[in-house]
Amino acid sequence: MNPVIETRQASRHYGEGDTLVKALDEVSLQIQPGEFTAIVGPSGSGKSTLLQLVGGLDIPSEGSIHLSGKAISQMSGRELSDFRRDHIGFIFQAYNLIPVLTAAENCEYIMLLQGIAEKERRERVRAMLERVGLGGKENRRPNQLSGGQQQRVAVARAMVSQPDIILADEPTANLDSQTGADLLDMMHELNRKEGMTFVFSTHDPMIMERATRLVHLRDGRIEQEEHRA
Amino acid sequence: MGLTWRLALRNLMRNKRRTFLTAMIISLSLTALILTDAFIEGMSDAMVRSATRLYSGDAQIHHRDYLAQREESLAIDPDPFLEKLTQETDVSGYAPRVLAFGMISSAANNRAIQVSGIDPDREATVSKLRGAIRDGNYLDSDGPRTQILIGSRLADLLEVELGDRIVVSVNNQDTQGAEQQLFRVSGIFHFNARALDENTAFVLLPRLQEMMGLGESVHEIAFNFEEANQATQTDRPIWSRLSTDTAVAQGWTELMPQLATMLQLSNSSTLIAAVILFILAGLGVINGMFMSIYERTYEFGVLLAIGTRRTSIFRLILAEGLVLAVGAITIGAILGVVVTATMAAVGIDYGNMEISGVSIAEVIRPEYHINQYTVLPVWVLIMTLIACVYPAVHAARIVPAHALHKSL
Repeated sequence: MNPVIETRQASRHYGEGDTLVKALDEVSLQIQPGEFTAIVGPSGSGKSTLLQLVGGLDIPSEGSIHLSGKAISQMSGRELSDFRRDHIGFIFQAYNLIPVLTAAENCEYIMLLQGIAEKERRERVRAMLERVGLGGKENRRPNQLSGGQQQRVAVARAMVSQPDIILADEPTANLDSQTGADLLDMMHELNRKEGMTFVFSTHDPMIMERATRLVHLRDGRIEQEEHRA
Repeated sequence: MGLTWRLALRNLMRNKRRTFLTAMIISLSLTALILTDAFIEGMSDAMVRSATRLYSGDAQIHHRDYLAQREESLAIDPDPFLEKLTQETDVSGYAPRVLAFGMISSAANNRAIQVSGIDPDREATVSKLRGAIRDGNYLDSDGPRTQILIGSRLADLLEVELGDRIVVSVNNQDTQGAEQQLFRVSGIFHFNARALDENTAFVLLPRLQEMMGLGESVHEIAFNFEEANQATQTDRPIWSRLSTDTAVAQGWTELMPQLATMLQLSNSSTLIAAVILFILAGLGVINGMFMSIYERTYEFGVLLAIGTRRTSIFRLILAEGLVLAVGAITIGAILGVVVTATMAAVGIDYGNMEISGVSIAEVIRPEYHINQYTVLPVWVLIMTLIACVYPAVHAARIVPAHALHKSL
C-alpha cells in the first residue's frame, strides 16, 4: 500500500554557523492510509516542525516530503496552495475558524476554493455538520459556539473537502476533558468508519490512548515508534 | 454576493470605529478636494468676469499691430466690423473705442492717463461703466461735447468734483502736436478696480476722434458673447469672420495671456492640493489597513494553510479597500455638496484684492462642476486602491508557518 505521507531524511534547520538549530534532523517516516497517528514528545522536540513540513506549510532544508506520492518540496507556491486545498485537512489548536463567517460558510469556504458547485457545497456542508453533531447550528458564527463546537466545525471543515489526510495540532488543548474526549471519539469514529487518516501532534494522554501508532520525537529525531492494534 | 465581498464587508464591520475613522480620512479628503476645486472655479470665474465684463469685453478687434506697438495711428475703420457684429448671433453687445494716452490736468494736479472715447449707448452693451457711475451722470450722446467721466481715485488725485473744469491733452495724428481741450467733470465712476479708477477717463467718441485727428477710425471694438466661455474657444469661425488683412479679432485669453496663465496656475494649485491630500489620506489608509492585517495575521495563516492562494488574499484586501472607498466617497461627496452649498451661500469677500493685475471686485462663491463628482471621486478611489496595494502585498506574503506559530 502506498503511504499517504513519506518523509525521506527530512531535516529542517534554522540559523547558520554557531547559531544553527536542527529543529528536525533526518527524519524518515511513512504514514499509511487509515492510520490514527500521534506524534508525541516534549516541547522543542520537533513535533510542530514535522507537522508543518508534512502539511506543506514549510519546506525541508534537506531530504524530501512526499504526499500521496508527490514531492511537495518541488512544487511552486501556487501548486502547494492547491495541493493543501485538495489533499490536506488542517485542525489547529484554537481560533482557527474565520470569525466573520458562519459555521456553514467556514465549511463551504474551502469548497468554494475548489470550485465545487453551490448545490453540492450546500449538501456536503449540511451533511458534514450533521455528522459532527452541529445540525441546526449552521448559521452560528464562531463566537456563538462553545470551544468544543468550534473544534467540531474545524473537523467538519477539514473533512468536507475530502482530503487524503487530516493534520491536527493539539486539537484538544483548549477544551475541557469531557469536550476533548467527545471530540476525539468523533474523530476516532470517522477514522474507523470512513478510513480517514489522522495525524496528531499532541501531549494529550487521551489522544495517545486512542492512537493506533505513536511516534516519539526527541531533539528533532524519532526516538521510538509504537504500533497498536 | 460573492464570498470575497461578504468577507470584505464583514471584516470592515469588525472594528467599526477604525473603519469609520479610516473612511473619514478618505471622505474628508474628497470633501476638501471638492471644496478646493469649487473655490478655484468660483475664483477663476470671478477673475474672468472682473477682467472682461467690467470693461474690457470678452473679445476685441484691433489693427493687427496696435497691441504690439500701441501706436495711436494704427486705427481701423469700424463700419465693416460693426456690420458683421450686428449679424453675429452669439454676440450680445459691441462697442467701438478710441484710446489715447494723454495728460489730464486740474487746477491742483496733473496725471498721465488713458483717455477713452466711447459711444455711450453701445458701451453700455459691453462694459459696466454706466452702472459704475457713483456721482453725476453717464455720458449722453446728445449732451455737451465737454462731458468727461473720471475714476474716483483720479478725482481724488486731481482734487476735482462734479462740474469742475479739467484739461485733457492728447496727440493729434494730423498735426503731430498736442491737442488740448477743456472738459467739465460730468460723472465720477467707481469700478472698484484700481487700474480703471485711477488711470482712466471717458469722453464722447466723436470728440476724441476729432482731438486726435482720426476721422471716423477707432482703435478698438470690444464685444461680448452670449456665454462668456465662448471667448475661450479659439477654433470658433467667428474669429476668422471678424479678422481681415489689417485687423484681428481676439478673445481675452489672447488679449490677457497673464490672466490665462494665472488661471492655469490655479488649476495646478488644485492638483498640488490633491497630491498632498492623496499622500496624507493614502498614509492614513495604509495605516488603517495594516492595523487590520496585523490583527488578523493568524487568520491569514489559517486561510493560507487550508489552501487559499496568495492572489486571493491580495484580492480580499483590495476588496476591503474598494468597499471602504465606495462608502467613504459617497459620504465625502454628500459632505462636498453640503459644504460647497454653505460656502456658496456665505461667499468669501476678498475686498477688492488684486491678483495678477486683476481686481476681484465681487464676492467669490464656490461653484459646482461635474468633474467634482465624477473625476475627483474616481481619483480618490484609485488613490485608496493604490494605498491598499502595499498592505495587500504584505498580507499575501504572510508565511503560514510563521503566522500559525502559536498553534503549530
